[in-house]
Amino acid sequence: MKELLKELCLINGISGDESAVRDFILSRIPDDCNRRVDNLGNLICFKKGKSSPKKKLMICAHMDEVGCIVTSIRDDGTLTFDTVGGIDPFVLAGRQVLVGKDGISGVIGSAAVHNLSKEEREKAPKVSSMYIDIGAEDSSDAKKYVKPGDCVYFDSDFISLGEKCVKGKAIDDRAGCAVMIALMNDELEYDTYFVFNTQEEIGLRGSRVSAFSVDPDLAIVLEATTASDIDGVNGSARVCSLGKGPVVSFMDKSTVYDKELYRLAFDAAIEENISCQTKTKIAGGNDSGAIHISGDGVRTIAVSVPCRYLHSASCVINTEDLNETYKLVKTLMKRIFAI
Amino acid sequence: MDLENILVQLAESAGASGCEATAAETSLSMLRKYCPDASIEKGNVIGYFGDFDPKRKTVLLDAHIDQVGFIVTYITDEGFIKFENLGGIDRRILPAQQVVIHGKLDIKGVICSVPPHLSSGDDAVPGYDDLCIDTGMAANEIRKLVSLGDTINFDVKCRKLIGNRLTCQAFDDRCGVASIIYALEQIKNLQLGCNLAVLFSTQEELGERGAAIGGYRINPDIALAVDVSFAYSIGEKEEKCGRLGKGPMIGISPSLSREISDKLVSCAEKASIPFQTEVMNGLTSTNADRFVVCRDGAKGCTVSIPLRYMHTPVEVIDIKDVKLTGRLLAEFVKETM
Repeated sequence: MKELLKELCLINGISGDESAVRDFILSRIPDDCNRRVDNLGNLICFKKGKSSPKKKLMICAHMDEVGCIVTSIRDDGTLTFDTVGGIDPFVLAGRQVLVGKDGISGVIGSAAVHNLSKEEREKAPKVSSMYIDIGAEDSSDAKKYVKPGDCVYFDSDFISLGEKCVKGKAIDDRAGCAVMIALMNDELEYDTYFVFNTQEEIGLRGSRVSAFSVDPDLAIVLEATTASDIDGVNGSARVCSLGKGPVVSFMDKSTVYDKELYRLAFDAAIEENISCQTKTKIAGGNDSGAIHISGDGVRTIAVSVPCRYLHSASCVINTEDLNETYKLVKTLMKRIFAI
Repeated sequence: MDLENILVQLAESAGASGCEATAAETSLSMLRKYCPDASIEKGNVIGYFGDFDPKRKTVLLDAHIDQVGFIVTYITDEGFIKFENLGGIDRRILPAQQVVIHGKLDIKGVICSVPPHLSSGDDAVPGYDDLCIDTGMAANEIRKLVSLGDTINFDVKCRKLIGNRLTCQAFDDRCGVASIIYALEQIKNLQLGCNLAVLFSTQEELGERGAAIGGYRINPDIALAVDVSFAYSIGEKEEKCGRLGKGPMIGISPSLSREISDKLVSCAEKASIPFQTEVMNGLTSTNADRFVVCRDGAKGCTVSIPLRYMHTPVEVIDIKDVKLTGRLLAEFVKETM
């Protein structure tokens, strides 16, 4: 699954521009899957299992990643931009980026530290005062290569850190996509819908319409969630930790999760000897927020891979967590029909 | 000569201040083509072009081979690496940067940061006390590979921007090294009227320390510190900056030799080399500050290549400026008796 995740993370696809990710996924899902692409670009698949339960189960992950979008070209050839999804200005300043379909290299520069006042050095930079430098001499030079509306991606490789961890951009939520592709290639016990959503990062847009059209009774959302188990952060502020298995939360900013499903996940984890943890802070949100209030309501649970430095060019996960997430969801896909 | 390739090779060679061995080897191998006896002396790369005649004046061309970076200060029981800076670095750009720790092996890591979902929304910039590096390894593994005092650089590859521009870390001052190599290529078949020494010096970013001993060893009459200076970009003061692509910046300052500044200007004019002037009001914060007061003194000047986003992993230069700087240096040594 690590190789699959690598291929997925190296594809560029910010919210609203997920087609390259979707094309790759289409090449990796089994032939015995029904598939369609809806008006928002969501990829909705259905695979028959050995039996057809009365309740409808939907598993989903989102294809989009955070990035930026070019808003204008200045006279001096620099590009103004906005973020697509929430990105901390600290992780934008001083980075290499790729602009547009042709992947023009650029940098988000910042004034030399020598020339900053003491006050400026101690204050967070503002995204609104940042810009991208692609090396253009002036605007007519820049216009030959880029245009407003071009997508901007982190220029970031996918590497191993130590024996267990990997680092890359877009692990949120290509990790979920990777787990789902692996599950789809297994033989299934029960009929299942698999949905690859668009536009999660700008407000759970794709999942709102895909949940409406699939109209499931039960949903399992596969995600990457924010871990802060780093030096200097202690106790509950760590939220969740790498290497302690998938994260099943009882509540986040967008959803109070179904209590029975929450318990089912932990019971299953214990019985199957899968490590599993919860979040110790009410933070973040995911497509569950749109799904659980879709139609007349969907019983929803999210199973997430803990991820450090989420929404940066350098997301870090432990691949053991990825494998444990796969195992937990695989057993939940059977057990969930019992409730 | 493939100057772009030379720039890429130099910029991608590691050399945080005090640990310049890799950058020294790269630049030494390039210098030996023109100065076959060049060698590494106490970290500095020193070479002489052509014959040395004690009766002639000695001109020194210098560029520093160190770059800003970090140094390992502690490894926590969870395996996180605490570190501090080598040279001036903007802490605002550090969270989530990819780095490489030069331990027994090169170990990659990420500078820890708290993501937006969890940050309290205040905009305080993390200090080194708050920062650490995540290598994905446990303490017992990382301690086998990394020792306190090992140096750290940003992990970044050189990228070609449009036109003649490149981005990477460490162009400050590897592009100075490249411009000297380019100058030597221009004069390689000539007999000079002066002795020409080349110094690729260490520890500039910590206070021009390599230049102090290199200058003493070479004892030049005329010393040119070939370094980088600020190219205008948004957020900088226009009047304090040069312009990218407009040629070398010739230093003029009370601490420098006006005679040499003037001569550089006249060399540039004679050879139709576009140039800019950089006026300072005292010390220059370059190796020239050391050379001028070395032993019984030298006539010093700065020749600076304009560069954007100094001391970040995304410094930007224009290859044209490196070439023009090399040409100016060549003209200058040709004209010096």
